[in-house]
Amino acid sequence: MTHLRELQLRFQDYLTGGSEAIEADIVSTEKALAEHRLGAYYNAYRIRLIDALAVDYAALEKLLGREAFEDMALDYLQRYPSRQPSLRWFGQHLPAYLAEYYRDKDAEFVCELANYEWVQTTVFDASDSVELFQLEDMARVEAETWPLLTFDFKAALLWLDMHWNVPQIEAALDNGQEPPQRQRGDIAQRWLLWRHAYKIHWRSLDVHEAWALEQAASGANFAEICEGLLEWVDAQQIALVAAGFLKQWIGDQLLVRIGNY
Amino acid sequence: MKCTDLVGAFFYPVDTIDFIYPSCTGQMTQSSTKPFLGFGLGLRAEHYQDILEHRPENVDWFEIISENYMVDGGKPLYYLDAIRQDYPMVMHGVSMSLGSTDELDFDYLEQLEALMERVQPRWFSDHLCWTGVDHKNMHDLLPLPYTEEAIVHIADRISRVQDFIGQQMLIENLSSYITYREDAMPEWEFLAAIAARADCYLLLDINNIYVSSFNHRYDPIDYLDGVPAARVWQHHLAGHTNDGNLIIDTHDQDIIDPVWALYLEAAKRFGPVSTMIERDGNIPELGQVLAELEQARRIAEPWYQSRS
Repeated sequence: MTHLRELQLRFQDYLTGGSEAIEADIVSTEKALAEHRLGAYYNAYRIRLIDALAVDYAALEKLLGREAFEDMALDYLQRYPSRQPSLRWFGQHLPAYLAEYYRDKDAEFVCELANYEWVQTTVFDASDSVELFQLEDMARVEAETWPLLTFDFKAALLWLDMHWNVPQIEAALDNGQEPPQRQRGDIAQRWLLWRHAYKIHWRSLDVHEAWALEQAASGANFAEICEGLLEWVDAQQIALVAAGFLKQWIGDQLLVRIGNY
Repeated sequence: MKCTDLVGAFFYPVDTIDFIYPSCTGQMTQSSTKPFLGFGLGLRAEHYQDILEHRPENVDWFEIISENYMVDGGKPLYYLDAIRQDYPMVMHGVSMSLGSTDELDFDYLEQLEALMERVQPRWFSDHLCWTGVDHKNMHDLLPLPYTEEAIVHIADRISRVQDFIGQQMLIENLSSYITYREDAMPEWEFLAAIAARADCYLLLDINNIYVSSFNHRYDPIDYLDGVPAARVWQHHLAGHTNDGNLIIDTHDQDIIDPVWALYLEAAKRFGPVSTMIERDGNIPELGQVLAELEQARRIAEPWYQSRS
């Protein structure tokens, strides 16, 4: 190991809260001791990483309060130090980590809130879709091809399942308003998030639309989706309901392409 | 919103000044005429909309923080492309970790290369520092000891980066808060030796010279006199925070008079050098930053004109 590497390992060990051996390598002056000088780096490391986490998890920080958020973030920093060139990815493990950090009854809610915020971050800078399938494009789709239609969705689209009324609480916190009372449903609600015109949109999905969307995104064709919807919808209404979903997805600017027509 | 942010640049109508832009693939040698972009700003997300709406003519170019645009899509790249249409840009990185004893991160360099293809920057730069070892990133610009070992180490890595990217780069001096006991030379000698050995150019941060000269008690004029003028292609100007014993390079305050005075000394020595304002915290309205940029122009241009 080179001398330079040993020095850097000592310095980094100090920054991450390990040994203070690096102090012996640093010159003290009358105005600033080595300890004070190194402290500038020690503090900056923590503040910079905590602040980065607070940008991606702004609602969580407001919910917990700065002090509790910092305590949690410092522990997270110890467990998951950044290994990426960009701070953009530093918070990627936080939702899973929170399940370990909060082992009490709050854990599920806090994890869902964090996951919801991270999904927003993911949708925010996901790949752009240059051309989207529009309602007027449906005019080119001939009736006999409908059963075999397949669907390609834009990259900037994700869904997640939550028991708690997280979107309402996050929106209130984001707007600086008093958040509504926490409410938990016995059955998880699926929420769809997508980006359009560089803004994040979201809405809840009924169980049969959630199923249809998931199937469509997995490559199922229109006929297969209709067949599966029989679990929730009368046979006579199937085509109408499925076509309604399709119209909604196109209107929401979710579809890049429809295939097989 | 959760955007990491950016930086940017613009054209200076310097028809009267002879300058050559480096191509993205070509090599420039020290004998080439020094390129001069004029007076620019670090592009920040807080100013995106204002820039697009008003296309300020008194900004000649923008500098972007490269890592903020290493994403797949969305608003950061939208604004980057839109602003790039009207302004020249340079790219400034914070995570190349040139001084680290870890292996060079070629995944990072590939991302950088892809972004350069998109932005077509006039040049790219990073810092005379290391940011972590053992594959960790402290996200700070950590100083190196000023030793022969460090010169050889970092110059070799700069050369490898330049070979990979296919053009020369600029290296920026840091604000530093520590002095290693083993330092064998002043910082300017260290910087000059690396630039010569790697045949790279310098991004001389005037505020960083001031900050480090205060923290380590040297004359900042010695620094200016100690670096090779022909290699100085860019200046940063910024504000800082002084606790009385130590100055921290926070980029969240206005530029103070002693830094402006040092910039004047730089203008006298280096001739036309592309100069920009860096503001990273407590970011004011665009107009306030532009006012600082005009101050830079007022200070330096008389000296540039006399030299040209």
